[in-house]
Amino acid sequence: MTNSVQRIRALSLQIMLIAGLLAIWQWAAVTFPGPTLPPLLAVWRSYWRLVQGDLLHTAVLPSLYRLLIGFLIAAVGGALIGLAIGCSRSLDAWSRPVLEYLRYIPAIAILPPALLILGPTDTMRIFVIAFGCIFPVLLAAIDGAKRVEPTFLDTARVNGLGAIARIRRVVLFAAMPSLFAGLRIALGLGLIMMVISELIAADNGIGFFILRSQRLFQSAGVYAGVLVIGTIGWLLTAGLLLVERRVLHWHRGWRGLPVD
Amino acid sequence: MIAETDGAILTVDNISRSYPGAPVPILDGLTFRQKRGEFVAIVGPSGCGKTTLLRCCAALMQPDAGSVLHAGQILSDPPPWLSIVFQDYNRSLFPWLSVKQNVGFGLAHVGKHERDERVAAALRAVRLDHAAELYPWQLSGGMQQRCALARSIVVRPKLLLLDEPFASVDAQTRFDLQDLVMEICRDMSLSTLLVTHDMEEAVFMADKVVVLSTKPARVVDEVAINIPYPRDQLATKETPEFLRLRHQVYTLVRQQIRH
Ligand SMILES: Nc1ncnc2c1ncn2[C@@H]1O[C@H](COP(=O)(O)OP(=O)(O)O)[C@@H](O)[C@H]1O
Ligand SMILES: [Mg+2]
Repeated sequence: MTNSVQRIRALSLQIMLIAGLLAIWQWAAVTFPGPTLPPLLAVWRSYWRLVQGDLLHTAVLPSLYRLLIGFLIAAVGGALIGLAIGCSRSLDAWSRPVLEYLRYIPAIAILPPALLILGPTDTMRIFVIAFGCIFPVLLAAIDGAKRVEPTFLDTARVNGLGAIARIRRVVLFAAMPSLFAGLRIALGLGLIMMVISELIAADNGIGFFILRSQRLFQSAGVYAGVLVIGTIGWLLTAGLLLVERRVLHWHRGWRGLPVD
Repeated sequence: MIAETDGAILTVDNISRSYPGAPVPILDGLTFRQKRGEFVAIVGPSGCGKTTLLRCCAALMQPDAGSVLHAGQILSDPPPWLSIVFQDYNRSLFPWLSVKQNVGFGLAHVGKHERDERVAAALRAVRLDHAAELYPWQLSGGMQQRCALARSIVVRPKLLLLDEPFASVDAQTRFDLQDLVMEICRDMSLSTLLVTHDMEEAVFMADKVVVLSTKPARVVDEVAINIPYPRDQLATKETPEFLRLRHQVYTLVRQQIRH
């Protein structure tokens, strides 16, 4: 009873905050007319064109496509390499200096060399996104693989599993909670790299759309583009959390938390 | 050096083992021998090196000196006919697999049909068939240990190693599990090596009790337990023979702790 009352109160407060922010925006746009702050309706029209209309195919989908490919490459590659490194003491010692160095290069700094080598292509943008995403996944996989219960590994060995089978059937699962933590960070970085990679020599994508709108003084488009990026980030994170809940349902139970 | 062993499934010959960084060895010149079909219990206080010894016996770890022979052979990996139940079920049962999948873990090379049948039979043997679809973390401690036991017998081992398998369950469950393990080991004619700190448990279950010293662990003495099977939790434990043997083992262990 009190629980549902609390929930309704929280929900109404949330709605009031959003409505308040929108009201302030609208008030400011009407009071100080000009290109800096367009009225809500104009932003909404532009937003709708992006998520529904003609701009979906030239702005949103190309970005989404590159983000997903880059993220997927980073997720699979980072997990495979990371688990292998985490399981092998010699591989770990051997690769440590390189990794310790590379991880401190801000992913943004990779943009000019990537442009130099790959040109203003989809490949370049996917590479930049994957580069930005891979380190959190890689480090999470190494860490997760190193912290697998030793008894799990003993059990695998007694049951005759070789190194590869041990990674595939035991380490991969045991490291999954750590991996998902890395994937969540990677998704956020991927979103950043997606936008940034489209600010240079692009002819499509949401970042390009925002930049072009800004140059043409179409402020509604600029704001709508930013809002669309927020929407994409929110939806993708929600999707990832949904997958995580399914894949890791056992983890909650194991730690003694309620499972749904 | 023990000669080519006749009938011994496990020969532990003068092994020593220390951990990197620790100056004193954990195991120091430890020797014993297990015949086929024999139930051997090793007793020693907590921290004396029982798990270390058992991991050497499983070929999960190599001794620094001396040798461990499995049916006369020195092995670098556990042989397929060896199984082990670990002390901490919470860290040995895979939480992402159901009870059934856990039990079938070592049968990946077996066809699905046969695997299902063998898993079902193993679950029936430990009386856990009603919980096949649950996850280990949904079970009580005793049920989890029965699941671990099912996983270790489903591969039809010849040698079963048990590392304090009943240490973290309540007394009544412990007695039930002891009876279950003795029944299964006799039915399957297993050679069983039980490691425990519980002297009464050792005398009750084993054909032979090996008493360890502590820091470093050596064999102090071996006590043969000539009490016929099946043994009963109440009747057997009241016989003069049981009381005499228990007294003998207690005395040996107590001398070790005094030193
Ligand atoms: N991996 C390890 N590294 C260093 N010391 C260890 C390790 N494992 C166990 N030890 C030490 O070796 C001793 C014996 O441990 P263990 O074999 O687990 O004893 P038990 O099973 O009889 O309780 C303990 O003092 C423990 O601290
Ligand atoms: Mg132990």
